[in-house]
Amino acid sequence: MNFRIINVIIGREYMTRVKKKSFLLVTFLGPLFFALISVAPALLMTFSKEEAKKIAVVDESGIVLPYLESNQQVKYADFSGYNVDSLKLKLKTKEMEEDVLLYISALNPETKTVNVVSYSQKPLGPELKTSIQNRIDKSVEEYRIKSYQIADLDKIMEDVKSNVAITTYTMDETGNESITSSGVYMAISMILGMIIYLFITMFSSMVMSSVIEEKSNRIVEVLVSSVKSTELMFGKIIGIALVALTQFLLWIVLTGVLVGIGSQFIDMSDMTEAAVQTSSMTGGMDATSMAGLSPETMAQLADSTATETTGGAAVFNTLARLDYPTIILSFLVYFILGYLLYASMFAAVGSAMESETDANAGQLQIPVTIPLLIGFFISLIAFKSPDSPLAVWGSMIPFTSPIVMTARIPFGVPGWQIAVSILLLIATFALFAWLSAKIYRIGILIFGKSASWKDLWRWLKQK
Amino acid sequence: MALIQCEEITKRFGNHTALNNVSLTFPEGKIFGMLGPNGAGKTTLIRIINRITIPNSGRVLFDGHVITQRDVERIGYLPEERGLYRKMEVGEQALYLAQLKGMSAKEARVELKKWFKRFGIEGWWKKKVEELSKGMAQKVQFITTVVHKPALMILDEPFSGFDPVNSDLIRQEILRLKDEGATIILSTHNMESVEELCDNIALINKSNLVIAGGVDEVRRKYGNNNIELIYTANQPLESDNLLFDIISDDNNMGRHTAVLSLKDGVNQNDVLSALISRQVVINSFKELIPRMNDVFIKLVAESGGLSYSEK
Repeated sequence: MNFRIINVIIGREYMTRVKKKSFLLVTFLGPLFFALISVAPALLMTFSKEEAKKIAVVDESGIVLPYLESNQQVKYADFSGYNVDSLKLKLKTKEMEEDVLLYISALNPETKTVNVVSYSQKPLGPELKTSIQNRIDKSVEEYRIKSYQIADLDKIMEDVKSNVAITTYTMDETGNESITSSGVYMAISMILGMIIYLFITMFSSMVMSSVIEEKSNRIVEVLVSSVKSTELMFGKIIGIALVALTQFLLWIVLTGVLVGIGSQFIDMSDMTEAAVQTSSMTGGMDATSMAGLSPETMAQLADSTATETTGGAAVFNTLARLDYPTIILSFLVYFILGYLLYASMFAAVGSAMESETDANAGQLQIPVTIPLLIGFFISLIAFKSPDSPLAVWGSMIPFTSPIVMTARIPFGVPGWQIAVSILLLIATFALFAWLSAKIYRIGILIFGKSASWKDLWRWLKQK
Repeated sequence: MALIQCEEITKRFGNHTALNNVSLTFPEGKIFGMLGPNGAGKTTLIRIINRITIPNSGRVLFDGHVITQRDVERIGYLPEERGLYRKMEVGEQALYLAQLKGMSAKEARVELKKWFKRFGIEGWWKKKVEELSKGMAQKVQFITTVVHKPALMILDEPFSGFDPVNSDLIRQEILRLKDEGATIILSTHNMESVEELCDNIALINKSNLVIAGGVDEVRRKYGNNNIELIYTANQPLESDNLLFDIISDDNNMGRHTAVLSLKDGVNQNDVLSALISRQVVINSFKELIPRMNDVFIKLVAESGGLSYSEK
């Protein structure tokens, strides 16, 4: 190996990519996107506060109105006694400032219930509808209870009132307990698994395209007349790895800066609410869009965050307690090793392709992309049950371990498991780098049409 | 003194033998023509000299020692299939390729600027390759092949894609580089340029070396033994059963230009004395050295015709 030459190759691979407009765009828009996602719920809440819904209430029952308490989001106004039809007309012509007209009928003495109708120009949001419904239900229920004429009712009601909260503790080996929010772990696990999957796929494919490019524009013959094919291959793989690390570090720094700036404008109580929402939101959103998870799973995920009645405090407690250095370090280690393994496989496959759109190209590419996908799917299980046998095995087997282990890390993984998994990954990389270099050496000089797996096997045996 | 010596080189791809026990010596400071039909094994031999491909047996000596990876810095290779990074700037790309050949960035920049100036293309430095025409890109590629002053240049079809003006420019450059002491291997199907440029040739067909030697020597040895005779007579000459056949006779008012094909083992003096005894006035008697083209066709036919093996 001639390191001066490899440096020249790394330099070109790195500079041509870093100077590209698309790299700059992704590098600077990425953090903006991340920052928006993490700040958006809080921002939305801050803005949505301004425009509270105004609801005109015509209560003919006389029991509901006291339960309709105005708050920051909803302002109720008493319009009892007004003619509903004339109010409807006013609502239609916008002669009144209320957006919604809520009509509550007189109490039916038989069924002891009321009929409720709402009129508005825009449909009621589900949240508002549920809130109104709950309040009316409560008023009717209390009216019914009162109708039994029980003595000391208020005291009894106070006594039976239940408000169960689940508080989750995790215990570390020293026996310390702390309040945590498992939803936070799950969200972080899932996001990490997804990012590492995307990163490995994206940058390994970049290696493949670059190999195909050199082959199809025929410069490769000039290149290998100057340098060894292995030098060319590893120079390329390392150069693109540096591009990935550059992008990654810039993203961390820029996202940090943007979130820092953003949080200056948002008060912390909103952030707390938002954090809970973000974790359940991103979890649910990603799950459906990326993997088509079953509704039960989504519900479970949503529950796990929703039942955190310790609320924002626990979320912040968890966020603060996360072992960031370990998470970031292991993310980097697993990204680098996983990328190296897949990039060398993609380089070999690329060397056998005539073009990315060639008929045989898919046949060559699929076997190396499937293990990655499997890893990603296992990581979707790992974030729910990080210590299930599937997750543990997935985090050991080298083809899936970079993704699955990264998804398990936030929950805490025994040191020996990490050590075994890393050693296996390194050994597998060494083996596949060697095999890939053999295929690559031959493949880049075979022109005409994409090769088949049979050809690759033949090349492996060729001197 | 030989710069490159190939010793008993054999290369197999699976069941197909691309080169069969080929030994060749490339003398220093000469232009060596590497001839052979498509698929004969020329490119494989060139790739073995470049250390792109490893032979199954045999070895290559460079300047007296077994060739190493360091020696490829002293080789410049222009493959038949040209190629540059399309999206890269010309200057940047030339710098990169020169550095891969062991030049420092600084030294490469100085030398490249000289070459760009010599070819009158200074203005292309900042252009992207995709903006250049095919001929323009070929020029850039020629420069990147020779900029590191290689002791050995391997040029595969160097004139293809050039117009006659630029083709001549490249021809002059090749001769100039030879004068400066470079050894050049020229692989081409253009037999005129072989006659004009090459000192030695080798012909490979069906994975075997068919012939190697000086250009004139090969042309004499393997051509048909033909004589161009100009004579004056009223009647055209007739063929001689023992000595020669008349292939053509062009009569221009009693002055004939004929081509005589001598029979095997007949020497030119016998023919001359026979002609004198036939009472014709001999104006000119000249040996016809066969064209390289004819030698090529004849040798390929004799060595088993064309090979169409899978590459």
